[in-house]
Amino acid sequence: MLTGGFSRRYTDGVREFEIAARTVRGVISAMDRLYPGLGEHLEEETSLAVNGVIHEVVYTQIIPADAEVFFIPRIEGG
Amino acid sequence: MSKHHVTTVINGDPVEFLCATNQSLLDVLRNDLNMTGTKEGCGTGDCGACSVTLDGRLVCSCLVLGVEAQGKTIQTIEGMANGEHLHVLQQKFLEHAALQCGICTPGFLVAARSLLERNPDPTEEEVRFWLAGNLCRCTGYNKIIEAVLDAAREMRGA
Amino acid sequence: MLTNTKNIEQVFKSVGTSPIRPDGVPKVTGMAQYGADYSLPGMLWAKILRSPHAHARIRSINTSKAEALPGVKAVLTSADLPNQTFDYIGPERVAVNYWHMTRNVMAREKALYEGHAIAAVAATTAAIAAEAIALIEVDYEVLPHVIDVDEAMHPDAPVLFEDMITRGVEPAPTKPSNITKRLEFKVGDLDAGFAAADEIVEMSFKTAAVHQGYIEPHSCLARYGADGQCELWSASQGHFVVRAYTAKLLGMEIGNLVVHPAEIGGGFGGKTVVYVEPIAVALSRKTGHPVKIMMSREDVFKATGPTSGGSMTVKIGVKKDGTLVAADGVFKLQAGAFPGSPVMNAAMCAFAPYIIPNVRTVGFDVVSNRPKSAAYRAPGSPISAFGVESVLDILAQKIGMDPLRLRLKNAVKAGSPTPYGPKHSHDGYAETIQALLDHPEYNKPLGKNQGRGVASGFWFNGGGESTASIHINEDGSVVLATGSMDVGGSRASMALMAAETLGVPYASVRSTVADTASIGYNHVTGGSRVTYATGLAVVEACNKIIEQLRLRASIMWDVDVKGVVWEDGFAKPADKSVGEFEPLSLKAIAAKRAVTGGPIVTEAAVNAGGQAPGFSTQFCDVEVDPETGAVKILRFVAAQDVGRAIHPKYCEGQIHGGVVQGIGWALNEEYIYDKQGRLSNAGFLDYRIPVASDLPMIEAILVEVPNPNHPYGVKGVGEANIVPPMAAIANAIQRATGKRLTELPMSPPKVLAAIDAV
Repeated sequence: MLTGGFSRRYTDGVREFEIAARTVRGVISAMDRLYPGLGEHLEEETSLAVNGVIHEVVYTQIIPADAEVFFIPRIEGG
Repeated sequence: MSKHHVTTVINGDPVEFLCATNQSLLDVLRNDLNMTGTKEGCGTGDCGACSVTLDGRLVCSCLVLGVEAQGKTIQTIEGMANGEHLHVLQQKFLEHAALQCGICTPGFLVAARSLLERNPDPTEEEVRFWLAGNLCRCTGYNKIIEAVLDAAREMRGA
Repeated sequence: MLTNTKNIEQVFKSVGTSPIRPDGVPKVTGMAQYGADYSLPGMLWAKILRSPHAHARIRSINTSKAEALPGVKAVLTSADLPNQTFDYIGPERVAVNYWHMTRNVMAREKALYEGHAIAAVAATTAAIAAEAIALIEVDYEVLPHVIDVDEAMHPDAPVLFEDMITRGVEPAPTKPSNITKRLEFKVGDLDAGFAAADEIVEMSFKTAAVHQGYIEPHSCLARYGADGQCELWSASQGHFVVRAYTAKLLGMEIGNLVVHPAEIGGGFGGKTVVYVEPIAVALSRKTGHPVKIMMSREDVFKATGPTSGGSMTVKIGVKKDGTLVAADGVFKLQAGAFPGSPVMNAAMCAFAPYIIPNVRTVGFDVVSNRPKSAAYRAPGSPISAFGVESVLDILAQKIGMDPLRLRLKNAVKAGSPTPYGPKHSHDGYAETIQALLDHPEYNKPLGKNQGRGVASGFWFNGGGESTASIHINEDGSVVLATGSMDVGGSRASMALMAAETLGVPYASVRSTVADTASIGYNHVTGGSRVTYATGLAVVEACNKIIEQLRLRASIMWDVDVKGVVWEDGFAKPADKSVGEFEPLSLKAIAAKRAVTGGPIVTEAAVNAGGQAPGFSTQFCDVEVDPETGAVKILRFVAAQDVGRAIHPKYCEGQIHGGVVQGIGWALNEEYIYDKQGRLSNAGFLDYRIPVASDLPMIEAILVEVPNPNHPYGVKGVGEANIVPPMAAIANAIQRATGKRLTELPMSPPKVLAAIDAV
């Protein structure tokens, strides 16, 4: 899933996708096939929430079955 | 413009230096004498990070001219510990976690020592008002006040 | 996570204690070296020329008189720095744009704020450099300026960038404006939600820009060698980030720049960016000498990033029983002279502590002629929280519900939805509310002109990249190095986690911060990430060194490594079948390191995820003087979920510090500009931060709901505590006086005007 702003910029506003993948790399590759170039944006600009738990984008991370994967704007603090 | 020759006593030692007319004592300490323990936070006497004592009086060294040190005694943070033995205030600051970034700490220690020399049994309010000239942005002052009160207690032998 | 160690069932020996920090004695004796405390032989002093105008085109700069002054070694302008491509790199929320960054470090086409750096001089003494600055002639074409965020959004406002077309708006506007972008998050159906509400409150609020207020001005020392290698001593919150930015702005290879982490005198987010470093490096390159820069306090206020001021409208609907049904927030944040206010954070955090099925947040990032904003402790979240937490208070009164109970009723927990998409991952918020409900003073009656206010706050907390390395000294003591700058005692926390994991005394661990050439990448010390993410790297490094120690012991005993366990700091035989061996200490193993394979070292690196957000709930009691409008804080209680307090005193310290910054934000701090757009209060006298006599003791309650993703349950502590105070105080003032203040700061003239108004 993507946030509204991100989807407006890169996926014509489509926010939800069903992807078959077992790792984060698999998810990004699949998204990149749907929208060429999207993969790099996902890597550079987002963090990842897997069933709510926030992670940096790391290729090898395993995605459990039926997980909700949300790409949110990357977090920075002060 | 030629410089002025100043003779003074710093932390018990005789010291001579040359300084320009408009040079502050803070600048002399830090940049000519390499005593960087006294900090510059504002340069205008508003933050207390540059606190030293001049003939026993607590001052902002950024508001004192180098030439004003002539013939006077100065105490800085570098003179507070006695070799390996920390002053009680320094020890209490560490135990109470009264410093986070630590930049204001030398100024607070000099100021607190000055307070306890005058008033060995201050109330919390008296401590807070004495230290109102020392700014801290990290700690919210809580643990600084606790450390000073605890040091006062120990120094009284209470 | 702890492999082959006999686990101590949640009873810790080191974690949870508050020992003295390793850098403590240097800091209380004045020996610690901060950014301005370094010198090198042959060092030059640099001063920076700054624009006296809030908005002006720079027609020409004549440096010849300055260059001719004896003692001046070089003059720098933007012509000495490579131009950068205009491109937003990285996450939209905090995208880096080097085209903007180089112009903020040194102006090119325009001066965009009073104090904007125009040129710099390096000379043999600071006095000569200051004299030279005055000899630089700049031909300005003064332009009309705009300061306030609402005014900057007006269609007739002076425009800072003639080609700025607002992003995030469809169709894109045809005229340039000062609105960098618009963003929106939305869940559910707002109209239906509000239709179901029994009470709705809609109100507008304004907050002022406030500076992080660190006592140490920005300082650094650079030495650029004839071989293109440069060393930089800099007080920053992230020397790896300083290296990356400085190298880029100078057109240098990252590997040619080594950044040494000086001790830092406060940052709070404001030192995660560069101002003086590129200038010092460029001047050192130009002169062939080391160059030192220290900003004056006046320049810190005029030219370094405060956080944004904001203008917002918040609308919330609630049912009679306290269920929140809909919420809408529009947040306009001013970014200063270049894009990048924390508006996205403000929009994401605003309603995040609450389960609300229909939510919309809209944000605008707006430029104006004031210094470029920088991160400040939970950037953006305190701003939107001021509006949201105030409106919740009004609603609580309308339905006759205790404001803590209203929050508790709608409190998020693990699995609850967030307004920006994914579910919440952790519990902890409700526990902070409960801590206050249980507090003996919460229901204590108050006197005349006194009032009690509550508020809550949320902050994401960070993860990201960290590296830790460990080696065992010949005497068995442990050296632990990370690349995380120590702002508030993290060396001690790292040592505590290492001591706990290894089972050795805290005193045997030496905890250090390594420079960029001596350890792998570490992201900034900020975002409440270090105890969590660098802690993870430390624990992983400890586990790896334990594996090595077991292996070395197995070699010493000549047994299979499977027969060796690590327990309480000793290698022991797993059971009697392995053999009758005395436990081996680190010292014993280190003594035999040469014959067992050589030095005992390891390193671990993480790109950490799984962090938990921070929640803080606070109540404060105030007394308002009806004759002066002065607000006195009588009591302030702040509960925060810290996961697990590795060093409880430092956790308390973070809460005290954030709350007091919030008190200053609420009652006093603001930028006062004159009609020419020049700052009138560029010093600590008139930019009044709280002093010791303003305050009572702040009470911090450490709530511990451990984070299961961290071996010690850590949740970031540094930031969430600054989010609630402004609203808590506004709510308290309202209860004390019957008047609702909607503009920060709530300084005496404003409070008095509100009290006196009919």
